[in-house]
Amino acid sequence: MDDISDTARDAAQAARSPEDLEAIIEERTRALTEALEQKTALLHEVDHRVKNNLQLISSLLLLQNRRVTDPALKASLRGMLGRVNAIATVHRRLFQSEDVERFDVSAFIRDMVADLMGSAQRDDIRVELDLERVEIPAAKAAPFALVINELLTNALGHGFPEGRGGRIFVGVRRQEGEFRIEIADDGVGLDKDARPSGFGLTIVQLLCQQLKAKSETTDADPGTRIVVLLPVNGAH
Amino acid sequence: MAGRTLEVLIVEDEMLLAIELEHLVEEVGCHPLGLAMSSDEAVAMAESLHPDLALVDVHLSDGPTGVEVARKISSDCGGVALFMTANVKRLPDDFAGACGVIGKPYSEHGVKTALSYLTYCLTEGHVPGPVPMGLTLAPAYAELWGLDDVLPKIA
Repeated sequence: MDDISDTARDAAQAARSPEDLEAIIEERTRALTEALEQKTALLHEVDHRVKNNLQLISSLLLLQNRRVTDPALKASLRGMLGRVNAIATVHRRLFQSEDVERFDVSAFIRDMVADLMGSAQRDDIRVELDLERVEIPAAKAAPFALVINELLTNALGHGFPEGRGGRIFVGVRRQEGEFRIEIADDGVGLDKDARPSGFGLTIVQLLCQQLKAKSETTDADPGTRIVVLLPVNGAH
Repeated sequence: MAGRTLEVLIVEDEMLLAIELEHLVEEVGCHPLGLAMSSDEAVAMAESLHPDLALVDVHLSDGPTGVEVARKISSDCGGVALFMTANVKRLPDDFAGACGVIGKPYSEHGVKTALSYLTYCLTEGHVPGPVPMGLTLAPAYAELWGLDDVLPKIA
């Protein structure tokens, strides 16, 4: 950019007539437009690569999942696939919107719920959504998405063992200086035997710490209610 | 037409994506005809195998040639193309004659739902309902398959 303005300044000083000046402005505009076009093309290229690589990672996990027979290993691979999908959903959403700096939490949750419920194929579980439109910085989108993915997956998998139907509620609203995200189910509840996987829980704890968010799990009687409080401006 | 098995050509230069896609095509009850990695391969296979549906990535091994592949398949080979690309915004307004697009990164469930939906559209000639998440129909096909008729129901 310095080169362009220096050149323009030198040229402007040397200019003698309005025609010269006009030509200089034209030339400068052309150079700036070109630079902007290059930058935009580069951004598209990077976006394209990120998306393709995410697709590659999930294809790898899916392919390996087809090969293994051990149920525990299959469950691990499925778990990782879900996490990669959550991040993939973030990237699809981010570049769909005009603003790449802000991330629409409710739109993301709608996508996630549709995908998780669709692939779970559990017609006996009803989902209720009460989503206010709230936005978080794009930089926080991936860790946030991973937290939501764990909580939804847990509600689905552990709250409702095969044959036990019910309801999952997901609510998002702004409450004073916080975003309140509630995920409640009327499933089997916090039973000792149905405790969520250790790794999933660790992810939630670590990422909530990173996001300066608080997460509270309570007995919803029947079922489980988890509330995540995320500070609107970075900290509590 | 009910119960017809759709013949599907996969045009994708990333081998792992192509192979996994082939599995998904089979799982929804379609018949995969094969894989093409370049535009020449894709057009040659489409001309000899006459796929009902071709899943076409924009970036192939010989460059961003997928758009022309889609145009050729829909105009010369009597097949229907569906784009699968990370660059949805860069597709031409007329979708180069393709019926729509699935944006990358797609999910397993997203692709299966979209393929089942398109199987219905292609065999019955109209949409079974609102377009599933992850799939976007080209304006010409949305009109052809009467998407507007089902929209008021969800509004």
